[in-house]
Amino acid sequence: MTGRVASIALNTFREAIRDKVFLTLLVFAILVMGSARVIQPLALGEESKVIQDLGLSAITLFCVLIAVLIGGRLVYKEVEKRTIYIMLARPVRRWEFILGKYAGLMAVLAASLVVMTVGFYLVMFITGTPASAYLLWSLLMTFFELAILTATAILFSTFVTPIASSVFTFAVYFVGHLTRDLRLLAAMSPSPVVKVVSQVLYYVLPNLSNFNIRGEVVHDVVLNPEALALAIGYALLYTATLLLISTLIFSRKDF
Amino acid sequence: MAVVTDPVISTVKLSKVYRSGIGMRLVSALVDVTFDVGRGEIFGFLGPNGAGKTSLIKILIGLARPTAGNALVFGRQARDAQVKARVGFLPESPYFYEYLTATEFLRLSAGLAGVPGSEVAGRVNSLLKLVRMEASAGVQMRGFSRGMLQRIGIAQALVGDPELVILDEPMGGLDPVGRKEFRDIIVGLRDQGKTVFFSTHILADVEMICDRVGIIINGRMVNIGGLGDILSDDVQAYEVTVTGLTGKFRKVLERVGDSAIRSGDALLVTVPDDAGVDRVMAIVREAGARVQAIVPRKRTLEDHFMAHVGGKRGA
Ligand SMILES: Nc1ncnc2c1ncn2[C@@H]1O[C@H](COP(=O)(O)OP(=O)(O)OP(=O)(O)O)[C@@H](O)[C@H]1O
Ligand SMILES: [Mg+2]
Repeated sequence: MTGRVASIALNTFREAIRDKVFLTLLVFAILVMGSARVIQPLALGEESKVIQDLGLSAITLFCVLIAVLIGGRLVYKEVEKRTIYIMLARPVRRWEFILGKYAGLMAVLAASLVVMTVGFYLVMFITGTPASAYLLWSLLMTFFELAILTATAILFSTFVTPIASSVFTFAVYFVGHLTRDLRLLAAMSPSPVVKVVSQVLYYVLPNLSNFNIRGEVVHDVVLNPEALALAIGYALLYTATLLLISTLIFSRKDF
Repeated sequence: MAVVTDPVISTVKLSKVYRSGIGMRLVSALVDVTFDVGRGEIFGFLGPNGAGKTSLIKILIGLARPTAGNALVFGRQARDAQVKARVGFLPESPYFYEYLTATEFLRLSAGLAGVPGSEVAGRVNSLLKLVRMEASAGVQMRGFSRGMLQRIGIAQALVGDPELVILDEPMGGLDPVGRKEFRDIIVGLRDQGKTVFFSTHILADVEMICDRVGIIINGRMVNIGGLGDILSDDVQAYEVTVTGLTGKFRKVLERVGDSAIRSGDALLVTVPDDAGVDRVMAIVREAGARVQAIVPRKRTLEDHFMAHVGGKRGA
């Protein structure tokens, strides 16, 4: 079993790193971080905080783009190009296929995170910005946020087109950062329809703001380890649920 | 119909109905298809475009579920992973991961088929040789021609050393040399005791190598059996070659046959049955001409095929 999941994951990884979209994003991310050099003189006083925040935000944004754009067509493309036939004609169970695809893209994201982080620390080194390892906590949380987002993209990818899947996943990403406002909306809106809808969305959509600790790490605020552990546990559970639903949908399909 | 002992494939009243298009119109791709394929057979699955060949194969591979009926492979449900480990499959007009090289792809296929790691390299190399693709082994498949993809497709179908090989139009995109090589590969597989099931709409492929054929038309298996069985119960025609005819008798003879072709002094008359031959002989005797040859023309598979297709389409 593990062998087959690993084979599919490796194939997914290869596909991504030989993909123009991915390479373009990676190059672009590194250019953006390099541009911190250009911005530096503009930011008075707080320049090191600005560079740190910009770098962390850029890394997160580009990884989200990779997860959403590549994740959105991960399963669909195999169906569309009919490569799914030779996959599923093998003794590969449907959940192994979904898990392999997922693991492959997570490996791509992990590799991208590492590459971008190295680039980021290089930029900080060159610009003479104090480069504390404390910032890495934020990137770790980004990784778990990506875990949820990739699973979301895969779920959509099992039943809608890549473009729709990417759009929906982006929507989940944005609203996922506003879940607190959703609860507020549910509490304050006079309309019962709005109340119910925002309540449902609050419970169904992932709460992604827990994974944003950029402000804290940049400003050296002490982190709450319990909150982090809870967020990670939440990410694992949420991801497992999404993958399970994806497998259920995928298993019912005929090709 | 011969009874198959020890069937490798066994279907009972298999039906497949698709819903498609705007009003979700129902399309019956398979209607009560029942047949068996025995161990060690080369079974040709013959039918015109849209007959339901691919639909049936997808069910045998476990890619799709039948609407009704049952399909067993090695006595188990086709979707069973243990079954799939014993089956090699080549899809119709195959398309593989274009960003992989041929070697990378075959390694991936070997991994998924459960080939032990130590045997993968050897297996991949010998298959590349078998399908004559060694020269392109390290090239990304995005540039491959259809025939090259077909060759790699055959290699990947065989990579797990399967007992049963199911091929959907394996000759598609192959040149005449490629077809010959492919027939040799199939016969080689049978010699190793494997069972081969392949679909085609090219009759010559089937006539040369198949032990049995099944003919599917409009989703129904209209005929199944050894080639001899299928062909012998057909009406035969006779071709009579006559020489030494004079103008008047030539005209008469031309009207007696279904068709008549002049070739210099000789006339080739085609008649449908014995009575036709007798009529021709009578005229020949009266004319004082000579019969050079009487050739019974067995119906070819092609005639058979056309008769069925024509009948169904006309209906
Ligand atoms: N996914 C599908 N949805 C709707 N109809 C389908 C689907 N797949 C096949 N059909 C219909 O089922 C019938 C049989 O198709 P199938 O592909 O099995 O034929 P085939 O014998 O393989 O033809 P060919 O020789 O052209 O490959 C056709 O009428 C086809 O339009
Ligand atoms: Mg077909």
